[in-house]
Amino acid sequence: MDPECSQLLPALCAVLADPRQPMADDTCLEKLLDWFKTITEAGSSLLLLQENPCLVELLCHVLKPQDLSSRVLSFSLRLTGVFAAQEDCFQYLQQGELLPRLFGEAGPLGGAAWTAPTVRSGWIQGLRSLAQHPSALHFLADCGAVDTIFSLQGDSSLFVASAAGQLLVHILSLSMRGPAEGPPGLQADDWPACAQKIVGHIEESLRSTAAPQITQALNVLTTTFGHCHDPWTQVLWVQLHPLVAALLEKDPVPAAHSLVDLLLSVARSPGLSSSSCGLWETLAQTLSHLSPTQAGLLALGILKLQDCPQALRAQAFAVLLQPLACVLKATAQGPGPSGLLDSTSADSVTADILLPSKAACVGLLCRTLAHLELLLPLPQRPCPWPQAPLLGAAVTLLQLCGGSGSPASDEGRQLCTLLLGCVRVQRAALDFLGTLSQETGPPELVTQVFAVLLEYLRSPDSSPTVLKKAFQATFRWLLSSPRTPGCSDLDSHALLFLRELLPVLQKRLCSPCWEVRDSGLEFLTQMTRRWGGQAGFRHALLASEVPRLTEQLLRDPESYVRASAVTAMGQLSSQGLCVPPASPEHPGGQQKSLLGELLHILSTDSEGFPRRAVMQVFTQWLRDSHADVVGDTEQFVAGVLQVAGQDLDWEVRAQGLELALVFLEQTLGPPRSHCPYAVTPPVAAPASPLTQALQPLCRVRLFEFAFRALFDCDRPVAQKSCDLLLLLRAKMASSSSLQEPRSSPDVASVEAALQRWRAGDQAQPLGDLEPEVVLAVLRSMDLEGLRGALAESSDHVEKSPQSLLQDMLATVGILGENEADCY
Amino acid sequence: MPEIRVTPLGAGQDVGRSCILVSIAGKNVMLDCGMHMGFNDDRRFPDFSYITRSGRLTDFLDCVIISHFHLDHCGALPYFSEMVGYDGPIYMTHPTQAICPILLEDYRKIAVDKKGEANFFTSQMIKDCMKKVVAVHLHQTVQVDDELEIKAYYAGHVLGAAMFQIKVGSESVVYTGDYNMTPDRHLGAAWIDRCRPNLLITESTYATTIRDSKRCRERDFLKKVHEAVERGGKVLIPVFALGRAQELCILLETFWERMNLKAPIYFSTGLTEKANHYYKLFITWTNQKIRKTFVQRNMFEFKHIKAFDRAFADNPGPMVVFATPGMLHAGQSLQIFRKWAGNEKNMVIMPGYCVQGTVGHKILSGQRKLEMEGRQVLEVKMQVEYMSFSAHADAKGIMQLVGQVEPEGVLLVHGEAKKMEFLKQKIEQELRVSCYMPANGETVTLPTSPSIPVGISLGLLKREMAQGLLPDAKKPRLLHGTLIMKDSNFRLVSSEQALKELGLAEHQLRFTCRVHLHDPRKEQETALRVYSHLKSVLKDHCVQHLPDGSVTVESILIQAAAHSEDPGTKVLLVSWTYQDEELGSYLTSLLKKGLPQAPS
Repeated sequence: MDPECSQLLPALCAVLADPRQPMADDTCLEKLLDWFKTITEAGSSLLLLQENPCLVELLCHVLKPQDLSSRVLSFSLRLTGVFAAQEDCFQYLQQGELLPRLFGEAGPLGGAAWTAPTVRSGWIQGLRSLAQHPSALHFLADCGAVDTIFSLQGDSSLFVASAAGQLLVHILSLSMRGPAEGPPGLQADDWPACAQKIVGHIEESLRSTAAPQITQALNVLTTTFGHCHDPWTQVLWVQLHPLVAALLEKDPVPAAHSLVDLLLSVARSPGLSSSSCGLWETLAQTLSHLSPTQAGLLALGILKLQDCPQALRAQAFAVLLQPLACVLKATAQGPGPSGLLDSTSADSVTADILLPSKAACVGLLCRTLAHLELLLPLPQRPCPWPQAPLLGAAVTLLQLCGGSGSPASDEGRQLCTLLLGCVRVQRAALDFLGTLSQETGPPELVTQVFAVLLEYLRSPDSSPTVLKKAFQATFRWLLSSPRTPGCSDLDSHALLFLRELLPVLQKRLCSPCWEVRDSGLEFLTQMTRRWGGQAGFRHALLASEVPRLTEQLLRDPESYVRASAVTAMGQLSSQGLCVPPASPEHPGGQQKSLLGELLHILSTDSEGFPRRAVMQVFTQWLRDSHADVVGDTEQFVAGVLQVAGQDLDWEVRAQGLELALVFLEQTLGPPRSHCPYAVTPPVAAPASPLTQALQPLCRVRLFEFAFRALFDCDRPVAQKSCDLLLLLRAKMASSSSLQEPRSSPDVASVEAALQRWRAGDQAQPLGDLEPEVVLAVLRSMDLEGLRGALAESSDHVEKSPQSLLQDMLATVGILGENEADCY
Repeated sequence: MPEIRVTPLGAGQDVGRSCILVSIAGKNVMLDCGMHMGFNDDRRFPDFSYITRSGRLTDFLDCVIISHFHLDHCGALPYFSEMVGYDGPIYMTHPTQAICPILLEDYRKIAVDKKGEANFFTSQMIKDCMKKVVAVHLHQTVQVDDELEIKAYYAGHVLGAAMFQIKVGSESVVYTGDYNMTPDRHLGAAWIDRCRPNLLITESTYATTIRDSKRCRERDFLKKVHEAVERGGKVLIPVFALGRAQELCILLETFWERMNLKAPIYFSTGLTEKANHYYKLFITWTNQKIRKTFVQRNMFEFKHIKAFDRAFADNPGPMVVFATPGMLHAGQSLQIFRKWAGNEKNMVIMPGYCVQGTVGHKILSGQRKLEMEGRQVLEVKMQVEYMSFSAHADAKGIMQLVGQVEPEGVLLVHGEAKKMEFLKQKIEQELRVSCYMPANGETVTLPTSPSIPVGISLGLLKREMAQGLLPDAKKPRLLHGTLIMKDSNFRLVSSEQALKELGLAEHQLRFTCRVHLHDPRKEQETALRVYSHLKSVLKDHCVQHLPDGSVTVESILIQAAAHSEDPGTKVLLVSWTYQDEELGSYLTSLLKKGLPQAPS
C-alpha cells in the first residue's frame, strides 16, 4: 500500500465505523474491497494488518451493538474473509477471537442484522474467501458454519441461496484436498468428517419429497462434478447414483431441469469413467422418463458428448427429432414415412404436448429448432444427418405459420390454427432454415425453400424481425446454392430467384418501417459484396430499381438507414453498379457524383452513423483504388481529411486517421515488420527520396491532421495518431534522414504551435509544412512517452485507490444536501 | 395456487440499475434492463445468469418492457439482447425508441474511450437491438401473445417515460418506472386509470421527501447563471445529450429573451438538432403549455443557443456552455472544465447525480485540488454548484398514485432501504394495503385468485328459462351443469351434451341409505305402510307402490327387508339419484322419524 493511502486509511475506517455516516455511493465499498483483494494477492495480509491497525479496529468495532448499516457490516465480513485467506493472518485474527465473533453464533448470525440479505451474502462471501486452508476447515466445523450454510441454500434471496450452494462445493473440495500428508482415501467412510457431513446432507436432500431441497442437492452436485475432477468424485457418484436414479421413479420427475444439468455435468467430467458407473443407463432412462419439453436439452447435451454409446445417441437424436416428425406426419399429404423417424412410439406423447395448447406447442417447437440449430455445425452431430426431412419440416412450419400450408388431416389443421401468424416460431424456423443452408438438399426441396423465403419477404404480415431473419436466411441459401466447382457465381436457378427477389427488395426499401429498410439495405450490401462482379447478378440488379432507391435512401429521415445506404452505395459504386446508364430523357443530364454526395453527407449530416459510414466507404475506396479516387487521389484525401478533422464525432476523426494510414502506406510502401526478431537488411535509403516521398503527405495536410489528432481530447484518436506517427518514424529510422541536422526557424514555430495545441488552443493552423520540418519535429517528439501515457485510461487517476479513499472521505457530512439523487 | 412472483435483479432496495422480473399467470416479463454507471466491469449489468439458469432466455422470457430512456433503465439492453442472447420482443414507447439508441451510443463512445472497457456492445449491436423493439402508443392495449397484454400510461419524468400495466386474464401488475406527479416546465404529470391491479410496483426514490417546488430550484439556477455571466464569468453545465439538457435550454432561452441578455449560449454535443427534432416530433408528450404555444413559437427552436466549437472555449468574455458528458468523466465537458477551473469568476453547475470515480463527484464532494495525469494538480477555483432537477414523485406523489390505482398490494423498488421502510409503514397504515420491499435477488410471492371466464351452452340456458324463472342479477341462483375444459376454454353444458361431446357412456350414481324401523309386521305390510304414509305427506309427488312390493317417489326407491338379527325390526333400503338428492335426504329424515301408528 502506498504511503498516501496508508495515511488516509485510519480516517476512512473511522468513517466506516460511524453509523451516523452513511455511504452515498453503493459502489465505493465494492471498489474498496477490490482494492484490498489486489493488495492481499500481491503481499502479506498479516503485514498489512500490522502496519494498519485501524483495519482490525474497524473489524472489532462493527461487532459492537449499534445501528451500523448492513452494507458496512457485509463489507466487514467480506474484508475479514479476504484477510483470513492467508493462514498466518487467519491465526492472527483467531488469536483475537475475531473470527468466531464475526462468523459464529455470537456474531451478526444471531442478531437483527441477519434479516438483511446483504449481510447474509457478506457472511457467505467472507467464508468463501477464508476457506483456503486446513485451519479454516477446523474453524468452520467448530463454529457450526456448515449447518448454517445448509439452511442458507433455501434462502429467500436467489443470490444468497446460490452463493451458499457454491460455498458448500468449495468446502467439500477443500476438505477432500486433505492435509499436507496426503488426500483422504477413496473409501467414503474414510473421508473427513466435514465432507461426510456435506455428502450426508446431499443424500438426505435427494431422499426428500420437497422439490426445492432436491434441486439444491442436484445443483451442488452439478457444480461439484463441473469443477472437481479428482478421483474422489467418482466415489461420490457411485455412492449417490442410486439416489439420483431413484428420482426417475417419481412421477413427475422432480427438479427435471437440475437433474438434466447434473447428468450432463457428470457425463462431461473427465474424472469419471461413465461406463462403470451406470451413467449411460441412467441417461437413457432419463430420456424416456422426461417429457419431450424437458428431454430436449438433455438430448442435445448427450449428442454433444465426445464418446457415448451409439444407441444412446440414436435415442437422444430421436427425442430431438420427435416434434418435427410429428409436424411432418400431421401435415403429410399422403401415407408413407416422413423420413424423419420411422418408429413412432413416442408420437402420441409429443402430439399430446403439441396439439392441445398453443403455448406448449410453440415452446416445444422453438426449443427443438434451437437445439437442432446448435447441433448442426458440430463435428459430432449425428451421421447420417437427415437434411431433407429437416428442410421439409422447416419449410412446413414456415408455411403453417404463414398461412400457406394446407394440411389434409385434422391434426394438421389443428396445428395450422395454433401456429398461424406465430412470430416466435417464424423467427426460430427462419434461423434454423438459415443454418440448414450449410448442407444442400434435393433440388425440389431447395426450390421450396426459396419459395417459402420469397413468400415471407413478400408477405405484408411479416414483422420487421421476421423480415430481417428472412433476409439473412435468403442470403445464406443463395451462398450455398449449387455452383460450378471453383466458381463463386450464382447458378441459373438462383438467378431466376434473384429476378423475383429484386422487386420484393425494391418494395421493402420503400417500407414505412426503418427497420425493414435498413435490413433490406444490409442484405443488398451483402449480396453486392459477394456477387457484384458477376454478370448475371449485375444484369438483374441494373435492370431493377434497387440502385436508384438505394441512392434515394441516402436522404432517409432515419440516420441508421442513411448509414446503411451509404455503405450499400459505396459497395455498389465499387462494383460499378450505382451509375445507371444515362436515360434517353435526360441525355447528358447533370448526374451528381456519388463522391460529391458522400462528401456532402460527411460535412453536413447531423448524425454520426452516416458520417462514420462515409469514412469507411472512402477508406475502402482508397484501398481499392476506386475510379473516383484514382483521378486525383491527393485532392480526395486532402478534402476528406479537412472535413473529418472538424468532425465532432471522435470515431469519424479516428476513421480519418485510418484513411490517412492507407494513404501513407500507399505513398511510402507497406509498413516494416514490427517483429523485433525479424531480420531486416539495413538498407539505408538516401535522404532525398524520403523527403520527396513525404511531399504528397504534406500536400494533403496529413501532418496537420495527425498532429491535431495527437492532442485530441478523445483518447482513441490521440492513440491512433500516435501509432501513425510512430510508424512514420520507424520508416524514417531506416533512412539516413536521422542524421539530418534540425533546428530551423520553421521547426521552432511548428514546435511552438504544437505546444499550444497540447495546451488546448488549437485555433491556429500549422500552414504548409515542408517534409524536412516534419521530419525534424517528428524526431524531437517523445512519441513513445505519449503512447505510454495514452495507454492509461482517461480516468485512471480518478479510478486510483487514493482517489477512491479521498472521495469516500470527502463525501462525509455533505450527504444531506445531495441525498440519494439519481436520474 | 396461482401466484405473482417478483424478483428484482436490480433496483431492489437501491437506485442502481433497474431490472425486475415478474412472473404472472405463467408469463415471464422483464421490467427495465438498466446499467450501473458506477462500475467499469461486468458488475455494471444485472446478473442475468439467474435467468439463463432456467434454460434459453428467449424461451423463458415472454417480453422485455423498458419504461424510459435513462441508462439505469435501458443501458444493459444491447448487452442482454445481442451478447447474452435474448431474441424476443422489447416494448417501449415511440419517444423512448427514438432516444434510447442516442444515449446508448453516447455512453458506448465514452466507455470505449476509456481503457479496459472490454465486453461492451458495439454500434451495430445497438442497432440490431433497436430492431427488436416494438414501439407502443399511450393507452394502446398491445397483445404480446394470446394471453399477455400490456398498456402504457403517461409517467412524466422524461420525454416518453411510461408506466406499464401487464395483464394476463384477470391478473395484472402495474410498473411505474420513474414518474413525476407534478408537471414541470416541459412535461406533464403522470396519470393512470383506476385499474386495481393485484400489484403496483412503484419507484420510491424520494420516499421520505416532500420536494419543494421545482420553480424555486429553477429560479435559483437562473439567478446563479445570471450572476456569473454578469461578472464576466464562463458557466459550464455538464449534461447528457438528452433530457435535462433540453429542460435547461428552455429555461435559459426564455430567460435570455426576457432579460435581453447578450452573452452567448453554446451547446457542445452536436446533438442539439437531433434532440430538438425529437422534442418537436413528440410534442404530444410534452406538457400543455408547450403544446399550446407550439403554434406561435416552438419552444425547442432556440434563438440564443448555438452550436459550440472547441475553439470558442478560449474566447474572452462571458458565455454559457452545455457540454457532454454529464459527470465530467471524459470528453469535451472535462476538457472545458480543465480550462476554466482556475478562474474564480467561472462557474460549473452540475444538474444531476455523479458516480464515484468521476471529476463531477469529486468537485461535488468539495474537493478543490484535483490530481490530474502525470501527478499534476488542478486547483479548482471556479464556483461549483449542484442543482437537482431530477423529476421523481415525492412521498406525497407516491401515496397519491397508490390511491389512484387502488392496487391489492404495493412493491417498492428504486429507492434506499431505510426510506422504503418508512414509506412501507405509511402505505400499510394509511392505505391498508400490504407493501413489500424485496432486496435484489429476493422473490416476493403473492397468491392470487384469478377469475376464469366460463362459457355456457345455449341449451342449458334455455332449459333454465323453461323452468319459468327469469334471470335476475340481484338474486343469484344455482345452475347445474357439467364443466368442460377443452382447448384452454371452460364451458358449462348439460350433462347429456357433455357426454355426447366427450363420447362417454352414462353411468348412474345412486345414493343409498338404510333406515331401521321398529315394525314386527311382514315386509310387504311395512312397505304398504310406508307407501300410505308417503302418499299422505308428499301430495305433489308421484308415489307408487310397485308389484314387487317396493315404493318409488320420483327416482327414489324404497324397499323393506327383514332385519337379520331382530325380527321386530325392519330395514328400509332407500336409494336415489343425485338429481333427487334433496328429496332423497328429506325422505330419509322423514322415515327416520318413524311411521304414524296404524289404526289397529
